[in-house]
Amino acid sequence: MNRWLLVAAVVVTLALPPLLPERHLGTFVLLGLAATVTAGVSMLMGYAGQVSLGQASFYAIGGYAAGLLTVHGVPTLAGLLAAPVVAAVAAVLLGAPLLRLRGHHLAFATLAMQLILLSLLGRGDWAGGAIGLQGIPTLPVGGDLGYAYLSWAVLAVVLVISRNIVASRAGRGLRAAATSEIAAAAGGVAIGRYRLTVFALSAAFAGLAGGVYAFYLGYLSPGSFPVLLSIEFVVMAVVGGLGTIAGPVVGATVIVLLVQALNTLGTQPGMPGYAPSVLSYAVYALLLVVTVLYLPRGIVPAVTDRLVKERRP
Amino acid sequence: MSDFLGYLLTGLGIGAGYALVASGLVAIHRVTRVVNFAQGAFAVVAAMLTSSLLAAGLPHGFAELTGVLTAALAGLLVGLVAIGRPGTTPGTSLIITLGLGIFAYAIEIVIWGDQPRSFAGVPGVAVVGGARLQAHYLLILAVTVPVFLAMAAFFARTDVGKALSACASNPYAALVVGIDVRRMGLLAFALGGALGGLAGVLTTPVQQVTFDSDVTLLVNGFAAAILGGLTRPVVALGGGLLLGVAQTLIAGYGGSAYQLEVALVLMLAVMIVQASRRGAVPEPAR
Repeated sequence: MNRWLLVAAVVVTLALPPLLPERHLGTFVLLGLAATVTAGVSMLMGYAGQVSLGQASFYAIGGYAAGLLTVHGVPTLAGLLAAPVVAAVAAVLLGAPLLRLRGHHLAFATLAMQLILLSLLGRGDWAGGAIGLQGIPTLPVGGDLGYAYLSWAVLAVVLVISRNIVASRAGRGLRAAATSEIAAAAGGVAIGRYRLTVFALSAAFAGLAGGVYAFYLGYLSPGSFPVLLSIEFVVMAVVGGLGTIAGPVVGATVIVLLVQALNTLGTQPGMPGYAPSVLSYAVYALLLVVTVLYLPRGIVPAVTDRLVKERRP
Repeated sequence: MSDFLGYLLTGLGIGAGYALVASGLVAIHRVTRVVNFAQGAFAVVAAMLTSSLLAAGLPHGFAELTGVLTAALAGLLVGLVAIGRPGTTPGTSLIITLGLGIFAYAIEIVIWGDQPRSFAGVPGVAVVGGARLQAHYLLILAVTVPVFLAMAAFFARTDVGKALSACASNPYAALVVGIDVRRMGLLAFALGGALGGLAGVLTTPVQQVTFDSDVTLLVNGFAAAILGGLTRPVVALGGGLLLGVAQTLIAGYGGSAYQLEVALVLMLAVMIVQASRRGAVPEPAR
């Protein structure tokens, strides 16, 4: 049954973009990118047990890497390929000291990392400063429709990689470490190295998504990557279900669609000007709190559990 | 020299605000093991409410007190959601307080809008030893120091304070001798809310507040609290004052734009040093 569900999801995803009106195509592209970043967050939180409140910094690093390279004359494809590499290298360099930290220490450290990055980008004239980086060329993919397929192709690649990582030796080791780190370490699991690998890989996912984002919008500024964006990725990962393959896609889809619907509602005539932002804050907050309290493992595990129970009378 | 004294006193005033946020984090963390991400929101709510009450013509003192009490109530509500359900782990509670901090944005924008707000504090300029500084900084210090002394007395001398300390040192043993650990946790949240609110009310006259100022307040408060491992209020006071003075000196002698970075780098350095002292293998979870 699972296989048919997968085929149906692929068919719907391939058929959807041409049917969508122009203004919703943008949402579709950004949804694919958000799900890509969330896949990394989900792997990091679900398997390596690390809360990152700074994942948007790797999204930004990937975006700026692609943007800066192509603005200075590097071919667009090379820029896109460089984005995940630069983000992963940054993650290895930052992760070496930061991953000694755990729990709320790591959460604050990643938050601090993002605030420092934003202030560096805002001050750095080489990156366009607070005004932003303009004039990033576009990828030769044939307009918005091409970007829609590109972003979801990126997502597919990322999901396949995470599935293979989870099933690998490193994935098994990390799952053991999530139950008891001391026991796993005593059993010969190289926890430090695996955690750093997952951290770098999740950063590479975010960097790749950031690269596509840079080419899609053609413009980057520090304001595009607020701390709230990092928190959004955490919300998407938690709501969908940590450590599952479908979770990031479901979580990102649920939240993006809800926020989009409320945005439409909030911009109706007669609604106050603050309505859209208030509604989206409230949605993020309530979904996060309700999920954590009542569906602690997220939507996807809850639904699959129920399906399994029904089939076994 | 008088420049230096001025920076020092201003820095102590700013640092006292951080120390209050930090002590709220510490009060909650030592009893419940939860790091409260909504801590900055208490300060924002108290400051916004006080500015509205003052604008409506209520006298100083009453408006500030109402702000602080409302923040205490907000703390209690956050506590109810974050630790009210039995079996919620500290990690889960952290995510819940993160969500509630964002929920506070929605409430604050609906009630007070998204523009910065402030209100008048102690007017005028004070001259201390030849140094000129805004008189309000002296008020911040004059309130913060007694608050910390009162807290120390509360934790050491009163029954409730001792019960809170008992929960902090060993929740299971506290339960065995008949202390309601959950109620003490809620009390800690209310206390944390009041301390956060006090920080907001005291610092708003010298530092405007917007709905998203909570990130800055939280980061500075956490940086101050982490020196004492989030468990020792007195070290948090020292950390807050040190941070405030360091930021003001750096701003005064050049890099005015790097204030938050000072806190961030200090926080990262302290945490990494603490982690390397503890060793690679974490202590087993309690």
